[in-house]
Amino acid sequence: MDRKEDLEATGARYRDLILQDPRAGDELRRGRAAFLEEVERQNAAASLRRPSARRHRRWLALFVPAAVAAGAAAFWGWPRPVSFQIGEARQGELGSIVQATDGETVPISFSEGSTLLLRQGGRIRVLSLAAGDTRVLVEDGVVDAVIAHRAGTKTRWDFEVGSYHVTVNGTKFRMAFRASERSLRVSTEEGSVTVAGGCLERAQTVSAGESLEPFCSSGEVPPPDDRPAIEAAPAAAARDVAPATRAARADRWRELLAAGRLLEGLRAAERANFEQVCRSATQKELMALADAGRFFGPSKRAVAALVALRERFPGSVAAGTAAFTLGRIVFENDHAYARAASWFETYMREQPSGPLMGDAFGRLMEARLRSGDTTGARASAEQYLRRFPGGPYAGEARGIMSR
Amino acid sequence: MKLATSAGFAPFQDRFTLPTPLTFVGDDAALVEALRAGHPGAAAKFYDRYAEHVRLTLRSILGPDEEIPDLLQEVFIRALARVRKLREVDRLSSWLTTMAVFVARAQIRIRSRRRWLRVFSPERTRPSQLEQPSSDARRALRELHAVLDRMPIDERTAFVLRYLHKITLLEAAEACETSLATFKRRLARGEARFREAVRDRPEFSQWLDEGTRWTEKKT
Repeated sequence: MDRKEDLEATGARYRDLILQDPRAGDELRRGRAAFLEEVERQNAAASLRRPSARRHRRWLALFVPAAVAAGAAAFWGWPRPVSFQIGEARQGELGSIVQATDGETVPISFSEGSTLLLRQGGRIRVLSLAAGDTRVLVEDGVVDAVIAHRAGTKTRWDFEVGSYHVTVNGTKFRMAFRASERSLRVSTEEGSVTVAGGCLERAQTVSAGESLEPFCSSGEVPPPDDRPAIEAAPAAAARDVAPATRAARADRWRELLAAGRLLEGLRAAERANFEQVCRSATQKELMALADAGRFFGPSKRAVAALVALRERFPGSVAAGTAAFTLGRIVFENDHAYARAASWFETYMREQPSGPLMGDAFGRLMEARLRSGDTTGARASAEQYLRRFPGGPYAGEARGIMSR
Repeated sequence: MKLATSAGFAPFQDRFTLPTPLTFVGDDAALVEALRAGHPGAAAKFYDRYAEHVRLTLRSILGPDEEIPDLLQEVFIRALARVRKLREVDRLSSWLTTMAVFVARAQIRIRSRRRWLRVFSPERTRPSQLEQPSSDARRALRELHAVLDRMPIDERTAFVLRYLHKITLLEAAEACETSLATFKRRLARGEARFREAVRDRPEFSQWLDEGTRWTEKKT
């Protein structure tokens, strides 16, 4: 230890130990989420230029003497009135309409750190800001919400969207509401929200990466992109169900799936000839049948629906998603890891910028490892770490790389 | 009524589309330009490219700290706020090291103040609570942290920058915002203190000399 070389060797070992620390992935991932959240908040309300609550606390701890810090801690813990600002300078008023017109985006910044972005003709009113309980009425358009949660402070955010009620459990999500059609879509990027009311029979939780889109129109008109699939139903099938009552019974699976009754929809589809159903179902119906098969079994129904989806709608986003889901089924149910790897590769090839790319990479790495393809697993791990250094599989990837 | 849900699947593609952040592609010079211009994918790329480097700096100076994710955020937010002032784009990495050193040193002062005030639970800042001694590597890491933790901040930082990051003395001095001469003095004191501390830990010294196997001396 007396030579410089010894110290250099010690430094190199110390470096390796830190890099191989199993907590690295988690720390990097959490740091990334916090950083990007802060960047987004700053972008949304650039003029405010206020530090986040977390940073604020840290600098308080650094500079404020002990007695003042104790007092400040008591002060921060006390519930303070929340205010909001529209755009860069306009102070918001409870009950007043805030609207995004002519394609502009209007940021609404709340003093406790949350931000709403109104887009595409978005129109809202802030109804209440009382004691950590914020209520917002969404009258129309698209609203992106980033809700700040401060440690030790109970806050509640509720959105009234038409006849729906959206309660915020987590941080980042979008509501797209068309008042004229009474159509709503809620997509959650981080955390989760609960959607209730409207035509939902019970409250639905929409978690990160999920979307919920209830349709309630009285005419039960399917979305435009679904029509070609319905028209594509074989003529023979149409002849078979000539009597009105039989036709209604044969399409029962469709009604049940549309109502979210997946298990009953699946059983009705089996009674109506599952293969034929797969030939006439829309993309969404096939995905719903696949979900039903995965959740309630048998998984061969899920596989059949997904394979039909890929055959009938090649090149579509749904076809790529089907490949990913097939990989999951083969991996989890059949433990056929080489085949699962092949499906994940298919997804990555077909949807290179798809939202499931990180998951597909991670699962491909795992599938290759389990199938004995250590070289492939190592290559996947290397690629994964390059693209997603803070991703949920980063710890495993580093483990594979260090073997 | 129709209900469509997708668990873990792509959002519906029909009427609305979620804005997907554009992926940034380019070298450091392009990245800096993109950060200055507010490119939507640049911040994420900036983090992904340098987070491991920054974490290494923070962890090597601080040892285990449950606030590492917050400190990572702090470093990158500071960097983002100052990126317009960055002149030598090819020294982005060293520039970030300076930020990380600054934040780490501030954190050490915060820790000292917390200990002194006893406002926070002592367990929270005690490294041994964060380490799980289940392997030779972890044990060695804990010993290293124990040795470094006893060194004054300036000497610890100098030692870590010189021997762990292997950056030049000039760059290290710059990262510490001090002169080269001062940095060399700190480093010399740090080296002496480290050697002395290691000598007092024969098992650790042996581990450093012989490799990754930890041998308990039976008494």
